[in-house]
Amino acid sequence: MKIRGKVWAWFLIILGVLYFFLPLLATFLFSLKAKLGVLSFQAYVNVFNDPKFIKGFSGSLLWATLTIVVGILLFVPTAYWVRLKVPKARSAIEFITLIPFVVPPIVFVFGLVRTYSRPPLLIVDSPALLVAAYTIISMPYMYRAIDIGLRSIDVRTLTEAAQSLGAGWGTILFRIIIPNIRVAILNGAFLSFAIVLGEFILARYLVKPAFAPYMLDLGQNRAFEPAALAVISFALTWACMGIISLVGRGKGQAPVGGGH
Amino acid sequence: MTHLLLNNISKQFASNTVVQDFNLNVEKGEFVSFLGPSGCGKTTTLRMIAGFEVPTMGTVILDDKDITNQAPNQRNVGMVFQAYALFPNMTVAQNIGFGLKIRRENNGAIKERVAEMLSLIHLEQRGNSYPYQLSGGQQQRVALARALAIHPQVLLLDEPLSALDAKIRVQLRAEIRAIQKKLGITAIYVTHDQEEALSISDRIVVMYEGKIEQVGSPFEIYNFPTTAFVASFVGTLNTTSAEVIDPTTHLLQMDGVQLQAAEGLEDKHKGDKITIAIRPERLNFISQERKTNILDCTVENITFLGSVVRIQVSIGSNRFYMDTFNNPFLELPKIGDKDQVTCSREAVLVLRQ
Repeated sequence: MKIRGKVWAWFLIILGVLYFFLPLLATFLFSLKAKLGVLSFQAYVNVFNDPKFIKGFSGSLLWATLTIVVGILLFVPTAYWVRLKVPKARSAIEFITLIPFVVPPIVFVFGLVRTYSRPPLLIVDSPALLVAAYTIISMPYMYRAIDIGLRSIDVRTLTEAAQSLGAGWGTILFRIIIPNIRVAILNGAFLSFAIVLGEFILARYLVKPAFAPYMLDLGQNRAFEPAALAVISFALTWACMGIISLVGRGKGQAPVGGGH
Repeated sequence: MTHLLLNNISKQFASNTVVQDFNLNVEKGEFVSFLGPSGCGKTTTLRMIAGFEVPTMGTVILDDKDITNQAPNQRNVGMVFQAYALFPNMTVAQNIGFGLKIRRENNGAIKERVAEMLSLIHLEQRGNSYPYQLSGGQQQRVALARALAIHPQVLLLDEPLSALDAKIRVQLRAEIRAIQKKLGITAIYVTHDQEEALSISDRIVVMYEGKIEQVGSPFEIYNFPTTAFVASFVGTLNTTSAEVIDPTTHLLQMDGVQLQAAEGLEDKHKGDKITIAIRPERLNFISQERKTNILDCTVENITFLGSVVRIQVSIGSNRFYMDTFNNPFLELPKIGDKDQVTCSREAVLVLRQ
C-alpha cells in the first residue's frame, strides 16, 4: 500500500512539473528559432537592441521601485500601529487589503481615469497616479507580508522594552521593528516587483511606458521576440523568488524569547 | 526618605476598575514586591510606574517629580519583562548598550558600561552572541543588565522568572536580589509566586481585586496576615469561623471547642462571629503539660512533602493541616488515631472581616 501511494505521489508530482515546465520549455525553444534552421539567441538580441524595450523595461523598473518605497513607507507603520494600538481593527484592515483582489483592474483603472481626469484633481497624466495605483494593487502582497513578519515578533513587548530604554517612535521603527521584519519586507517588495512587472491594464490605460504593454505590442507583429520576453519575464520573477529564499535563510528573524 | 510615591492611584479600562486607591511609599534602595493572583492589578500598577498606562486618578512621584503623564521614554525607569524582550537583531552587547546609545553616550563609555554589566551577570564571554543563542535564564540576565545599564532611578520587574524552570528560577531570583543590593537600586517586582515574593523582598504589597490588602515585610505578611485573603493566599493556612466568648481574655469558641487568642479581639463583643486562622506549623501534638488551647483531634491523613510531613486532623467538624519537619526518626501517628493538638495563643490569628 505504502509503495503504491508513493508511486502515485511521484506520478502526480511529475505530471504537475510537466504541466508547468513543458509550455515554458516549448516557449524557450521557440524563442531560439528566430534564425531559420539554427537555434540562436537572435530574438533576445533583437529585444535588447529595441529602444522601446529599454523604455518599457526601465519604466517598469522605476514604477516597481517607487511602488515598493511607497508601499514600505505606508504599510510598515500602518501594520505596526494596528498591531500595537488598534488590534481590534485588524480584521477590517485585512478586508481592505483584499479589495484589490475583488475589484477587476479594468474597473479600477476606469474609476481612476474618471475621477482624476477632471478638476479639481486633474492628475491622470501624473506618474504619481500610476505609482499610487500600483501601490494599491500590490497592497494584498505587501501588507500581508509585513503583517506576517510582525506576527513573528512580540511587537508590544519589544516596543515597550525600547521605550523604557528611552527610544522614540522613529528609533523603535527603524532600529527594532524594521530590522526584525526585514525578510518579510523583502518578500513583499519582490512580490510587488513581480506584480508591477507583469501588470498591463494600468500602464496601458494611464499611458505610461512599461514592460507588459511593450510585450503585448510586440506580439502584434512579431513571433519569436514575445516568446523571448516571456522567458525573460519568468527569469526575472524566479530571480526575485531566489533572492527572497536566499535572504530568508539569513539570520534576519531570530525567535523572540524561548531559547534552548 | 520617599523615593517613589504612588498617591491614590486608580485605573479604569472602560467600566472596569483594575486598580483602586493605591497608595505606596517606596524608600530608596528598597525591594518591594507586588503579590497577588492574576487580574489583581499588580502588573497594571507597575505599567503605570513605567508610563505604559496613565492612571485614571492619582499621581506617580519619583524623586519629588510628578511623572504621572510623562512618556515612558522620558522616564529613567528600567524594566525587565516576563518575555525577556531582547532585540533579536542585536547581539548581547548591543542589547545592553542600546539605552546608552539612545542617550548619545560616547562609544568608549558604552563599551565600558557593557563590559561592567556583562561581568555583573557573569556572561563576559557572550557579548557577541545573539539572544536566540542563549538559554532562557541567560536571556533574562541580559535583559536585567540592559535595564540596569542606563542607571535607572527605579528597576521594574514584571514576573521576570515566570517563563523559566523551577531550578533556574530559584537561582536567578537570588542573583537579582544580590545585584539589587549591590547596586542599591530601588526595585519593584511583580509576581504571583508567594515563595518568590517572601524570599527576595524587603516589603510585600499583597493585592486583590485592584486593592491593597496588606503591606508589610515578608515576616509580617506570613506570620500576621490581617485579612482572610492574605491568610489564604500567602502560605497554607487553616481558617475557620469562631464566636467570641470573652473579648477581654480573648476567649473563643470554635465548633464547641474553646480556644484562646493573644490579640485581635479588642473591638469585638461577646457573641461576635469572627474568622480565625492558624498556620499548620504552629500546631503540634501535645508533648508536655499545657493549660490553654488543648484540642481533641482525630488523625485523618498523612502526606509527605519532602522536608515537611503534613498531617490532616479533624477538630470537631473542622479539618486542620498540621506541618512537622520530616526526619528519619519521626514518630508519626496512624490514620484514625485519637490524639490532642495544641498551639500557642499567639498562633491563633484573628482576621479582619
